[in-house]
Amino acid sequence: MHKIVLSALLALSFSTSLSHAQSAWTGGDDLPTNPLACDATPATPVSKPYDGGEPTNAPDRKGKTLKVVDVPKLVGIGYFNATSKGIADAAKEMGTMDAKTDGPSKANIDDQITLIDNYITSGVDGILFAANDPVAIAPVLKKALAAGINVVGYDANSTPDARQWFVNQAEFNGIAKASIDSMAKEIGEDGAFAIVTSTFTTPNQARWISEMQAYQTKCHPNMKWLETVEAQEDNILSFNQANTLINKYGDDLKGIFGMTSVATPAAAEAVTQAGKCGKVAVVGLATPNAMKPYVNKDCVKSVVLWNPVDLGYAAAYVLRATADGDLKPGSTSVKAGKLGELSVINGSEILLGAPTVFTKDNINDFDF
Amino acid sequence: MAMSMDLPPTRPASMARRPGFLSRLFSEYGQEIVVLAAIVVLFIVVTMVNPRFISANNLTTIFAGNAYIAVAAIGMSMVIITGNIDVSVGALIGVLATISGTLAVAGYPVWVAWFFPVLVGMAIMGVQGVLVAYARIPSIVVTLGAMSILRGGLISVTGGTWISGLPSEFLLAQQRWFGVPSPIVMMVVLTVLAFLWMRYSAFGRSLYAVGGNPEAALATGIPIERRIVAVFVIHGAFAGLATILFATQLQVIQSTVPPNLELTVITASVIGGVSILGGSGTVIGSTLATILFAAIGSALIFVNVSAYWLRAVIGLLILATVLADMMRRRGKA
Amino acid sequence: MNLKSLIRHETFLALLLVAVLVVLSFQSDRFFTVSNLLNQGRLMTETGLIAIAMTFVIATGGIDLSVGSILGLVAILTGVFWHNVGMPLGLAAVAAIAVGTFAGFVNGLIITRFRVPPLIATLATLALYRGLAEGISQARSVRGYPDWFYVLGQGEVLGVPTQLWILVAAAIIASVILAYTRWGRTVYAIGSNEVASRFSGLSVEKTKLALYTASGFAAAVAAVIFVSRVSTTRSDMGTGIELDAITAVVLGGTSIFGGRGTILGTVIGLCLIQALKNGLSLAGVKGDGTIMLIGAVLILAILASNLFERSGTR
Repeated sequence: MHKIVLSALLALSFSTSLSHAQSAWTGGDDLPTNPLACDATPATPVSKPYDGGEPTNAPDRKGKTLKVVDVPKLVGIGYFNATSKGIADAAKEMGTMDAKTDGPSKANIDDQITLIDNYITSGVDGILFAANDPVAIAPVLKKALAAGINVVGYDANSTPDARQWFVNQAEFNGIAKASIDSMAKEIGEDGAFAIVTSTFTTPNQARWISEMQAYQTKCHPNMKWLETVEAQEDNILSFNQANTLINKYGDDLKGIFGMTSVATPAAAEAVTQAGKCGKVAVVGLATPNAMKPYVNKDCVKSVVLWNPVDLGYAAAYVLRATADGDLKPGSTSVKAGKLGELSVINGSEILLGAPTVFTKDNINDFDF
Repeated sequence: MAMSMDLPPTRPASMARRPGFLSRLFSEYGQEIVVLAAIVVLFIVVTMVNPRFISANNLTTIFAGNAYIAVAAIGMSMVIITGNIDVSVGALIGVLATISGTLAVAGYPVWVAWFFPVLVGMAIMGVQGVLVAYARIPSIVVTLGAMSILRGGLISVTGGTWISGLPSEFLLAQQRWFGVPSPIVMMVVLTVLAFLWMRYSAFGRSLYAVGGNPEAALATGIPIERRIVAVFVIHGAFAGLATILFATQLQVIQSTVPPNLELTVITASVIGGVSILGGSGTVIGSTLATILFAAIGSALIFVNVSAYWLRAVIGLLILATVLADMMRRRGKA
Repeated sequence: MNLKSLIRHETFLALLLVAVLVVLSFQSDRFFTVSNLLNQGRLMTETGLIAIAMTFVIATGGIDLSVGSILGLVAILTGVFWHNVGMPLGLAAVAAIAVGTFAGFVNGLIITRFRVPPLIATLATLALYRGLAEGISQARSVRGYPDWFYVLGQGEVLGVPTQLWILVAAAIIASVILAYTRWGRTVYAIGSNEVASRFSGLSVEKTKLALYTASGFAAAVAAVIFVSRVSTTRSDMGTGIELDAITAVVLGGTSIFGGRGTILGTVIGLCLIQALKNGLSLAGVKGDGTIMLIGAVLILAILASNLFERSGTR
């Protein structure tokens, strides 16, 4: 009897190994996509009515010092250290905000929700967040709104009615276009590439991958997607996975996309150690400090990113403006300190601006 | 189905004969041989699908990239053999890696950056060993608490900043010794040394007694408490050595605890034949099991298993290995 | 089983809980309010249900590491059965709970039929069930449930969070079973001396099978509550919850070697951890500091309890 169970298990494991031809890239979500035009035509701005949430009976906070908590996806990675720095810079500059960053040690929803819940009870004036899951975080954020707390998101959105504003670093389709165009420029119109992502359930990454697929199909149809691998937010795992991709495809692999600030430097390191600098392109988002060794050695040509310090900075100013009542439903722009006027898009999102491209010329000017 | 009592079948003394060398080898190292056979089969099958699986680069990725897990599993196996467990090793390696990188960037000689964390690891584990042995707190409780303390402490102290700008002499894991990547050399040497020591030294053999039959061990004069503390200290040393490989592979050191590392290390030890009931298993088994899992992870990508089902397939294979081992042990009786 | 020493640990723990509550309520005036305490009850239900079932399992000298993965599996199955298969939501939840219970049953089979030690068996199923959750869900979430479903996780009944009623009921039923029925005594007997129990004619295998099935069932119910609380499904739900549950159980005085433990202890342990997590946060301690303190409390509490107990069990 035991032998039957054992053989059944082994048979099951091998039968699930039949690969199915996938029309969708692994790691994308199945939400509708909206690829941009193939040339440099900017996207037609979408004008939507305000769709954010409203705090109930928020006290008048104009001019008063705000007690603010920033709850990123997790603490301990360079990206959120940078946003945290931006928030701290803005708070110091304003002089009227008391901000602290407190995030979960793992990127899961439960810890983040519990943290936010605790801060609601402790009576903060404002919450900044980057959500691990847009829907899961909504109930607790709505609870915050109901308690009269101002809620502003950045980097990773929640459902619109759970927060007042969302500071968007860049549109998903814009990032997709910039990434695919960069890759096409480096590896050619019929190059083959693979993707290293964090997990398939991380919402931002899944959106980017879907948008990248839509854009590539439309504008660079001869490029070939090979596969996507998961590497959590683990440095060494990302490195090993990138190496495995390089080993598996050999010379067929011309480029690797790193979808997180952990995956991109790890992929660049894998390419460097495999001696394939210049032969395998690495394109992705990353913080400049992590990429300096590779950009300075010409292994990576450019790192497309927005400036996460600016992102945190803007989010803090947006929260201030919201609490003061200067930014309200129907506003079309907001003044964000040294970043100037930022425009409102998609109803309740604030666009940070054009992506920053870190290259050999400017990467050494940044320290985060 | 009748409940077997696991008593060996009786035989008249006149019929007793010493079993042949091969069958003795198999009965003593059965699980290790099974794991080794699985590795060989895996390599053969996958190489037929994609010959690049066996290329030098890929072998380096599989063996060198995961060597740190095998080294950590050596210490963990010793702890498990004494009937204890440690779930804090992942957090410990995260902390030690940060210490190591900080020293390197601050300009200390590389020897200090490499080996001071080993001492720290021994100290931290030693404290846990004392709590387990003398304060009689179960090891799962102590190490669970230690894991939380180390994890929280790491974020507190580093604030999450990564360590970059490591000097190139520090990057030991990227060096080659006698043409072979250093992690592989370290993994093999440490495994062999540990195995020989466990098998042939009195101290090493006493660990099996402590785990397998503590009353008998006590009766034969083995100082159990001291042994347990010692084994935790040694485990800390191996964690420190694993940290060297872990921290020197890339140009940056993450200041977070590597996710699931303790589960991976425990699974490697246990699949490699170390019995959680204490008292049996070898470190060769845990090293082989680490290699097997690393190879499976790579193999599943090479043969195009749907990425969404990767973890399920690995889980099934773990379960199959465990069941096969149990059947083999019961079939021996 | 030493009744005197048992009461001593639970008493000590209860005193510790009271002390912690007092200290924390001085640190923040928002801590010791009815609404906050009820809210904490809501947040600790999932871990609580799993910890209650885990008490039985650990009291027999076993362990179940796969509960987090079962939670994740049941969570996504709830969504898959409702959205992809098209079952009505109530039926989908029941079907998903049935699958989770079956997963616990499989754990029990592996442990009793194949004689795999519980740690190894549940380590293997931890990987398997999580993998199944990922594969079946294809990393998609299911959201958009009807409003009545959220009453379970986000609503209230008679002013008390809905799931808290379930937790209290489970705790009462479980403590009655463990302390006053033959079943409960069998559990302690197995934990104290499994071989002797078998020789005494106790149905060791059936009891163990039932316990692991119950553990799966508890994780499954916790999953549905969790989905209702966060209004979505994700295949990574429940990661790490097994360690939270085990912490509560051992803090509560259940010996990891089996033969000792009460539901009351587990519940007090659970409350203690939740109070610390919440109270420390309100007092201004950040997440990392809280984790450290809980780890320290765990070690110190068991250390102190061991020192009081002269009969040092290993």
